[in-house]
Amino acid sequence: MIHRTSPLGRVGIWCATVVLVAFTLFPIYFMLTTAFNGQATSGTDALLPKNLTFDNFSRALGDGNFGRFMMNSAIVTVVTVLFSCGIALLGAVAMARFQFRFRTTVLIMILVVQMLPAEALLIPLFLQMKDLQMLNSLFGLILVYVAFSLPFAIWNLRGFVAAVPQELEEAAYLDGCGWWQMFRHVLFPLVVPGLIATSAFSFVMAWEEFTFARTFITNEPTMTVGIGLFRFFGQNTNDWGGLMAASSLVTLPVMVVFVLAQRRLGAGLVQGAVK
Amino acid sequence: MPVSRRRPWLLLAAPLTVIAALLLWPIIRVTYLAFQAYGLEEVIAGKPRFIGLDNFREILGGDYLWKVVFPNTLVFAFVAVVGTIVLGTLVALLLQRLGTVGRAIVIGSALLAWALPAVTGTYIWVWIFDPDAGVMRTALEGIGLIGPEGYNWFTERLSFYAIAVTNVIHHSYPFVAITIFAGLATVPDELHEAAMLDGASGWRRFWSITVPIMRPVFAVVTILSTIWDFKVFAQIYLMPGGDGGNPDIFNLGVWSYITAMAKTNYGLGSAIAVLLTVLLLLITLIYVRALFREDELR
Repeated sequence: MIHRTSPLGRVGIWCATVVLVAFTLFPIYFMLTTAFNGQATSGTDALLPKNLTFDNFSRALGDGNFGRFMMNSAIVTVVTVLFSCGIALLGAVAMARFQFRFRTTVLIMILVVQMLPAEALLIPLFLQMKDLQMLNSLFGLILVYVAFSLPFAIWNLRGFVAAVPQELEEAAYLDGCGWWQMFRHVLFPLVVPGLIATSAFSFVMAWEEFTFARTFITNEPTMTVGIGLFRFFGQNTNDWGGLMAASSLVTLPVMVVFVLAQRRLGAGLVQGAVK
Repeated sequence: MPVSRRRPWLLLAAPLTVIAALLLWPIIRVTYLAFQAYGLEEVIAGKPRFIGLDNFREILGGDYLWKVVFPNTLVFAFVAVVGTIVLGTLVALLLQRLGTVGRAIVIGSALLAWALPAVTGTYIWVWIFDPDAGVMRTALEGIGLIGPEGYNWFTERLSFYAIAVTNVIHHSYPFVAITIFAGLATVPDELHEAAMLDGASGWRRFWSITVPIMRPVFAVVTILSTIWDFKVFAQIYLMPGGDGGNPDIFNLGVWSYITAMAKTNYGLGSAIAVLLTVLLLLITLIYVRALFREDELR
């Protein structure tokens, strides 16, 4: 595109970029400098890293028990991602490749359930889990997270499945494949990028989820990271160094996943949005 | 039934079962609970009691909903959505004018802000605005804007929500900016070139060319942002006072949660949750209607 920008305009663009990047990165920078700072008793002390130390991290992992919480979250997240992406793929194939009665109804229902607020589902699900004695169990959390990530996962994957040319499927049939064989050897390998993008979204949701974890889990051995942070904050109200160290530990895996899935993330959003 | 007719339902069996059991059934159950008295007494007795519309009368009849909770929910969502869309659009337009390096820096930092979990992000903003030792207090005190007695931003409704809005916009503008930036690539250059030859200003070209062509993209990001910002929970609950200490700053979600979980009044909490759900359904419906009308016109 042609943009004839005057020197003054160029300065403006420069300033805007600097201000934007500063606003965007400041919280992350501030979290890290507080986490690595030996004496983060006030915000201005924490601004510039002095007395670099890992003390805050060892305190978070020791007293704060963050190693345990991260392990729990890792288990919940991995199982949630595998289950939700697995069954979402089946659903996405049905929605993208077959014409059947009530197809539109199912599609609209999948759209509408995405809009339901967690707060509305929380009360009945809490009572249900209490009745089934599944409070304080990671399995209960996994069930809820699978259900929560499923509608978006189906919606997102549908775009990727629809993008695979139908001719490839027909070629597989001509070679004598049955439907499941075609699914395994043709369709599945081609939607792997879509599965990666979808997993990234489920991963982030399950890893950092707070509302259900706060309600379902009250025993320390089964706490996940979201609720672990909350408890740490309550117990050590003024230990900002420890809290920011724990926050950094929670943030790191999400950033890694985002950076790894970055290209596919974009593709998934565009294809998902345009149907 | 031939296999080909049965297959879609075979494939859908697992996902639909999960959705029905863990999303649809709870929504039916919460609606049912909204018409029951289900507090501590009934929990001990082991049985909720049907009371018709009493829960809704209690919510809608009091001043609290109209003077505190609704304004908190609606004004917050409105400001957050408008702020997110405006900033996201400006960033997308900025991205178009930057070179490769500038683009990489802006997109990279936006991705990091997007990846910052809502829970940790909220704690960072609370730490920045901490009334005792936060960087904002020491900075303002240093230049003499506030006295040595300090100032607690979290007790006042307006300043509380100003911080919440900053937090939410910081977290959600990257999605909008990246989506709109991708959409901008679909606007043909020729239109802008022709308009420029006619002497149209950048402002004019934005409203007469970019906005009409990009309307579906804007619609999608606005719908999603509205739905997200209406049901914001952790970002409010985790701020000082948000977990029940300061009823002035509750929104619908937090009010429902505190009523049901902290005060063990499941019936009333369910009624508030139903109200929130109905509100979200209405908003989605209005947006979808508007979208479809646009489609018919074209």
